[in-house]
Amino acid sequence: MDAGTSYSPRPHFGRAPLPAFVSVPAFRSVLILRALAIVGACLLWSIDLQAGEGLKRVLQRGILIWGADQEGGGPFVYPSAADPNKLEGFEVDLAQVLADSIGVRPQFQQGQWEKLPDLMERGDIDIVLNGYEWTPSRAERYGVSLPYYIYELQLLARKDDKTLTSWDDLINPKDGRKKRVSVLGGSAANDYLEALGDKVQIARFDGTSDAMRAVELNADGVDANLQDLPIWIFYEQGFPRLTAIGNPVGRGYYVAMVRKNEPELLAAVNKAIFQALQDGTLRKILAKYRLWNTTQMMRALELNPNGEFVGDIDGAKSIEVEGEKATEETFHAVSGWEVIRQRGWLLTQSAGMTVLLAVTAMPLAILIGLIMAVTRRYGPWLLARLATAYVELVRGTPLVLQLYVIFFLLPEIGIAINAFWAAVFGLAINYSAYEAEIYRAGLQAIPKGQLEAAEALGFGKWLALRRIIIPQATRIVIPPVTNDFIALFKDTAVCSVITVVELSKQYYIQARSTGAIIELGILTGLLYLAMSYPLSLLAARLERQLSPDRHI
Amino acid sequence: MISLHNIVKRYGQNEVLRGVSLSVAKGEVCVLLGPSGSGKSTLLRTINGLETFNSGEIQVGDVTLRAEPGAARDAALRQIRQRVGMVFQQFNLFPHRTVIQNVTEAPIHVLKRDPEEARQLAKTLLDRVGLGDKCDMWPSSLSGGQQQRVAIARALAMNPQAILFDEPTSALDPRMTAEVTSVMTDLARSGQTMIVVTHAMGFARTVANTVHILHAGTIAESGSPQQIFESPQTEVTREFLAEAKRA
Repeated sequence: MDAGTSYSPRPHFGRAPLPAFVSVPAFRSVLILRALAIVGACLLWSIDLQAGEGLKRVLQRGILIWGADQEGGGPFVYPSAADPNKLEGFEVDLAQVLADSIGVRPQFQQGQWEKLPDLMERGDIDIVLNGYEWTPSRAERYGVSLPYYIYELQLLARKDDKTLTSWDDLINPKDGRKKRVSVLGGSAANDYLEALGDKVQIARFDGTSDAMRAVELNADGVDANLQDLPIWIFYEQGFPRLTAIGNPVGRGYYVAMVRKNEPELLAAVNKAIFQALQDGTLRKILAKYRLWNTTQMMRALELNPNGEFVGDIDGAKSIEVEGEKATEETFHAVSGWEVIRQRGWLLTQSAGMTVLLAVTAMPLAILIGLIMAVTRRYGPWLLARLATAYVELVRGTPLVLQLYVIFFLLPEIGIAINAFWAAVFGLAINYSAYEAEIYRAGLQAIPKGQLEAAEALGFGKWLALRRIIIPQATRIVIPPVTNDFIALFKDTAVCSVITVVELSKQYYIQARSTGAIIELGILTGLLYLAMSYPLSLLAARLERQLSPDRHI
Repeated sequence: MISLHNIVKRYGQNEVLRGVSLSVAKGEVCVLLGPSGSGKSTLLRTINGLETFNSGEIQVGDVTLRAEPGAARDAALRQIRQRVGMVFQQFNLFPHRTVIQNVTEAPIHVLKRDPEEARQLAKTLLDRVGLGDKCDMWPSSLSGGQQQRVAIARALAMNPQAILFDEPTSALDPRMTAEVTSVMTDLARSGQTMIVVTHAMGFARTVANTVHILHAGTIAESGSPQQIFESPQTEVTREFLAEAKRA
């Protein structure tokens, strides 16, 4: 059997040609985007990134750069328990096998999971190897390899939750309250649940272990998690309060991805995978991580001895949208005005969430900041020191960490908080430290004589602060506070780490599912601008009006 | 009415008030004179607690203010501040309040007076200092002399038993000084008890009942204006007066 032809990008499939391995004329927008990407990339790496140069580049460099996300990455890629500087995982072993077969060294590149294809398009990595499920849209946009694992999805719930012991409980809840199910955003589990229609609520997380932890803690009312089976096998011991519900569902394939225009590299990858499958290397690797199961064995990764894909394509598609095969088979990227028409309203609605977060969090931030600033300047010694410590602590730690702590720590100590309020409090606390500093400067700018005049008139300290000092300080701080308000608008994007879908997150979701990165990116930018520009104008106006020699 | 007994104030090793005693009778206009750094402003500000002191005591009516910090001193200060008004060198009007709001602020929020009554009183007082037509203006749009007259009206609105003036005309040019001095003279003629720290010799000579010369934290000489200006008894007073004449 001649490897050169057997692993060409055009193997056959059981029934219909699988778009993954067939060079169907690509959709125009994808082509345009790709052309743009390539033109852009060529300007920077004119030698490296010409079409068809992928394998040559890897060989010349002697290194295969593979991208994956080690955050919550078990059993795929994760920091070794013994030596956190080392990586473990079946994909680490697989990368070694791929690189060995090509005759180069593997080199790991960290990337946020959902951004890995973007990293590859940027030219940072040669190959995405991180539990990416085969989907028609991915097959359309990237060079997609032979599968290296057949995954299934496992429903997880709390052991002590008597209202959720089967799939039927999930879809037809006995108490009539819709169940809330966590998934990894953009994953096959997400698509599987979306295909169920509005029978369940979906909570999208950025990390797989976050999604499981949310079930354990009932954080944000999450009842269940639909998880890739390998991940559950890996994490089972870490979540003793969770249990598997029903049989695995939604079979599909993990595939490696290369750039669409690098078929030689894809062929080399396919050859390595097939080799590993035939000589038992893949089985050994999977068994090492307890991933070799009856599904893998009986389906033999769905290849015939010629390396031809014979898998159940309908089964793979059923993961995507059950009962809607027709639309699946005609999936195509959306672009231009069409995508704006289709998805623009979704983005605008998410901009509403951004506004809601900002206008709820900012007044709280100003209030807390004012209290801290006043306590520092006028409070008793101990309280003043505590306020200083608060400001330094909050200012010295990142917003994303604060959000994470609020979202996952408060339920741990028995305080239920949903994602929206966790986001509001996180933003408010983070910004309160900055508002405290602004107010401190504002209070310092009030001449000493003002407090003396008030005291001489018999004002108590609190009354003097409330009637005389704080109103004057407020005028001084309005311009910088307005500036911070604009900054907060943009920082709401960070809230997606605790599953709040605001404008940025919605953009990532929509851009990935349509391929319309540029069109939706422009719309998203315009929406942000539409929110922040009026504030900028207001800030400028206030600055003019409240300059020290005007008192209106 | 107001008496200070043996007031001592130190900043570290530096003794700025070295046991000062004086008393001011009801209706008396008492002027404190002395070179810069003699401690006259500091002395004035101990009376309503804007400055602390280390020993001695201050009597305002039946209220006694002692040096030791604590609840007793705070309570005494609350009473004293409602009875004794103050006018500052830099006016210290509240820039975020209109002229009339500056005058009504303390009566309404400290004395809990009816706002309408307080407004009526404020109008009367502003008329009295010649600013009845400026009620709704912002302090920053007034001249220094006008601002200081508003400050006097603001102090009067508390119906004080005495008013402390801390160099009320030092930040003003001669014409504005005259405006303010004339208001202060009217006040003195109406029987208002006043303690005035000033460099304005004319005011001291013509309006004061008693003049005290401070020097290096002590009272060098006290007496009627006539005594002090016509026949000063001490070298310190003579030097000070000669210095003032040259300036």
